[in-house]
Amino acid sequence: MAASTGFTTSSRCLAAQNFTMPALSPTMTEGNIASWKVKEGDSFSAGDVLLEIETDKATMDVEAQDEGIMMKIISQDGSKSVQVGTRIAVLADAGDDISTLELPADEQPQQSAQSTSQPSAPAPREEPKSAAKPSAKPESAASGTYEHNYPLLPSVGLLVHEHGISKEDLSKIKGTGPSGRLLKGDVLAFIGAINADRPAQVSSHFSKLAHLDLSNIKVAEKKAPAPKASEAASKAPKAAPKEEKVLVQLPISLESVVQLQRRLQDSADVSVSTATFISKATAFANSRLPAVPHAPTASELFDEVLGLGKAKATKFSQGAYVPTIPDYSFTASRRASTPKSDIIDILAGPAKKSSSSSAQRATPRLDARLAADGIHTFSLLVPKEEKARAELFLERCKLALEEVPETLI
Amino acid sequence: MIASRLIPRSAIRTLPSRQLTLSRWSRGFASASGSSPEKEHKTANSEYCTNTEIEEKDLVIIGGGVAGYVAAIKAGQEGLKVACIEKRGTLGGTCLNVGCIPSKSLLNNSHLYHQILHDSKNRGIEVGEVKLNLETFMKAKETAVTGLTKGVEFLLKKNGAEYIKGTGSFINENEIKVELNDGGESVIRGKNILIATGSEATPFPGLTIDEQRVVTSTGAIALQKVPETMTVIGGGIIGLEMASVWSRLGAKVTVVEFLGQIGGPGMDTEISKATQRILKKQGIEFKLNTKVVSGDTSSELVKLDVDAAKGGKPESIDSEVVLVAIGRRPYTQGLGLENIGLETDERGRVIIDSEYRTKIPHIRCIGDVTFGPMLAHKAEEEAVAVVEYISKGHGHVNYGCIPSVMYTHPEVAWVGQSEQDLKAQNIPYKIGTFPFSANSRAKTNLDSEGLVKILADPETDRLLGAHIVGPGAGEMIAEATLALEYGASSEDIARTCHAHPTLAEAFKEAAMATYDKAIHF
Repeated sequence: MAASTGFTTSSRCLAAQNFTMPALSPTMTEGNIASWKVKEGDSFSAGDVLLEIETDKATMDVEAQDEGIMMKIISQDGSKSVQVGTRIAVLADAGDDISTLELPADEQPQQSAQSTSQPSAPAPREEPKSAAKPSAKPESAASGTYEHNYPLLPSVGLLVHEHGISKEDLSKIKGTGPSGRLLKGDVLAFIGAINADRPAQVSSHFSKLAHLDLSNIKVAEKKAPAPKASEAASKAPKAAPKEEKVLVQLPISLESVVQLQRRLQDSADVSVSTATFISKATAFANSRLPAVPHAPTASELFDEVLGLGKAKATKFSQGAYVPTIPDYSFTASRRASTPKSDIIDILAGPAKKSSSSSAQRATPRLDARLAADGIHTFSLLVPKEEKARAELFLERCKLALEEVPETLI
Repeated sequence: MIASRLIPRSAIRTLPSRQLTLSRWSRGFASASGSSPEKEHKTANSEYCTNTEIEEKDLVIIGGGVAGYVAAIKAGQEGLKVACIEKRGTLGGTCLNVGCIPSKSLLNNSHLYHQILHDSKNRGIEVGEVKLNLETFMKAKETAVTGLTKGVEFLLKKNGAEYIKGTGSFINENEIKVELNDGGESVIRGKNILIATGSEATPFPGLTIDEQRVVTSTGAIALQKVPETMTVIGGGIIGLEMASVWSRLGAKVTVVEFLGQIGGPGMDTEISKATQRILKKQGIEFKLNTKVVSGDTSSELVKLDVDAAKGGKPESIDSEVVLVAIGRRPYTQGLGLENIGLETDERGRVIIDSEYRTKIPHIRCIGDVTFGPMLAHKAEEEAVAVVEYISKGHGHVNYGCIPSVMYTHPEVAWVGQSEQDLKAQNIPYKIGTFPFSANSRAKTNLDSEGLVKILADPETDRLLGAHIVGPGAGEMIAEATLALEYGASSEDIARTCHAHPTLAEAFKEAAMATYDKAIHF
């Protein structure tokens, strides 16, 4: 097993190394050992799965980078919250007689910071930076060997021949390209033609560029939507905060409702309140109203330019109107966002017309009140653009309540 | 190395029974609020009834643009139950419907027209009367668009992704209300939700877009007649492409740009200058370092008051059509982000982490509506990566390696860093250039304007950036991107055999000039 720390010689002398908890992601600080896939005394080759580690995010396999023998497992299956860098096993080189080897001392955790390049440690992208900086010729000074992808890049191949670099020497050079690929700069640094740190510097520059810059995000202030809305409003005057409201009114007779109530009471002894009739009629009238007119959106404008506008114009939408009736208000507002009419306005306006209104106001029971007078003015206070829509709504209420109250129950 | 076999825990975590009760509650709410999904009230006695079952998907995608539809297809391939909500009525988003694709049809055909008109005699081809039929011209564009959007729809179907035509908005963290295009409403639940709502043209303050006289790129690809005069506010890629189209068809085009260079800040300054020279020769007028102060649409011509930033006199420009091409902004209107407490940054971008998660982990966001360059191919890469994050736990996009192309003639394309970028960061570099006037193929084509410029690390020779203005630049940049992705040095490019005679040889020669010397210059 190749020891690649370069800081300790003990592991090389002993030919057995501590295997520490690897950091599987830049943010990982600890993990659980799900299970070991090799037993003590087993030998393994590069690429074999040594163990499975669980983190809060995922379960991941740790593969061996080189061949070797599992000498001793220190943290057994199911060990929880093992800190990154903690010794979890001891590995020996392939071919070693593990019975004669001594267990190396536990060098952790004080060394954990430096030993990111322990045998099976992952995060290859991070390695070049940490490994390359300490010494002038880190690649050749370290005892690590690297497997390179063949064919070599044309420039690398040429340099290798030109300088007679042996395959053995070549495997000592650490590649700083993507996935550890050996680049021209790596070989130039190896033969001393350029500054030894340069390939790693360039490579770290690239790894920085490879990610979206999500630093310094300035969250839009909570107030931001408001100016935006008014900005949109200046484009589309309809959405302006100071909407002009209009009052839409329609007198509706509840006589047929009252008659129906009586018939039901007499024939079936069923009492259905007027409020029920009105809310049912409202629901009926609210369904499939024409869509609220609004300033055309960009795509609608575009469709219009192309003459496709009409195809979409037949859109219906659910209304949410609640009519206001003098001396009558829905006790439970159906919906917070309902364009509610201002009751004061309504009362101040139409209520005066109704001569019996003061008398009605005194009457405690709703049904009695409504029954006392056949005709009621249903009113709605709506934005100007919705006038036609609101009128249709009231027409439908009228239809339902005057002509076909039977269908409401 | 670690083979990360990732279990998408977040997907599993979104399943607890608690949320099933939540769904019941919200259905109750839906009916109580009178906005029930069931909308076909035929008789007055029909009650508010609710959908018997709200469908739950593994992934619900809001937006069927490049980000959304690619994610839908990929998710279908990964075996996820996926639905894609799109309100436009056709898939493909801005790119396919009103962006990249239709504009390329116009660019290609207007180039042909222009060439037949002005560049055939000296090639020994004499043509009779050349006439423009703008209606057919636009129809050719429509044919291309329809073919492609239908193709995308087929691909969704083929990969088992459900396509919902309607406008989606968040009810809560797991449920999305869809106002269906053909009336009615439905609610859909997603274990994972992907926001891919894209972007819209940024309006110019004080000018109301009517898409007839004051247009965005959307209107600029559908003008019904060639305007006499056209002013383009913003000399970025979109502005210059549209300027090219209408200038070739006969409009007198003026481009007003606030910055000191055309092509946007990402374009290499040297390339930008070369491009400006070439486009000016084609008849487009440029006003750089110039600010549009105000606009007036009351008279027959649209009047713009402009002010040169550096000591120039204020002046006004009258034109028949004004194109507003000052950039695009994220589009989240009506999405109901406030209903789930998601925030945007000050430019309206949805805030995400490196795995495209919003602060609600099962809701992710990609494409123009979030960070990074607003490019279709960037969105496409992210779409694949985000689905892999959901299904495999790991995805990858190399943001350092995203090419940009401007489809004027000649084309401009670049990848990696520009000279001014490197200078600003104090990163040393060396340059190699090669002009197309020394390239045999460009010569034979009588189309030899432009150059290739390569930037590399002076010590290691690793490629840092490639910038091309010239014929076929958009295709050639693929080679540069591949080289950059694999960490190649300019020598590696130069030592790779390129066919002769091709335009791409210019790229090879520029690489030779970078590490050594060009042969043919």
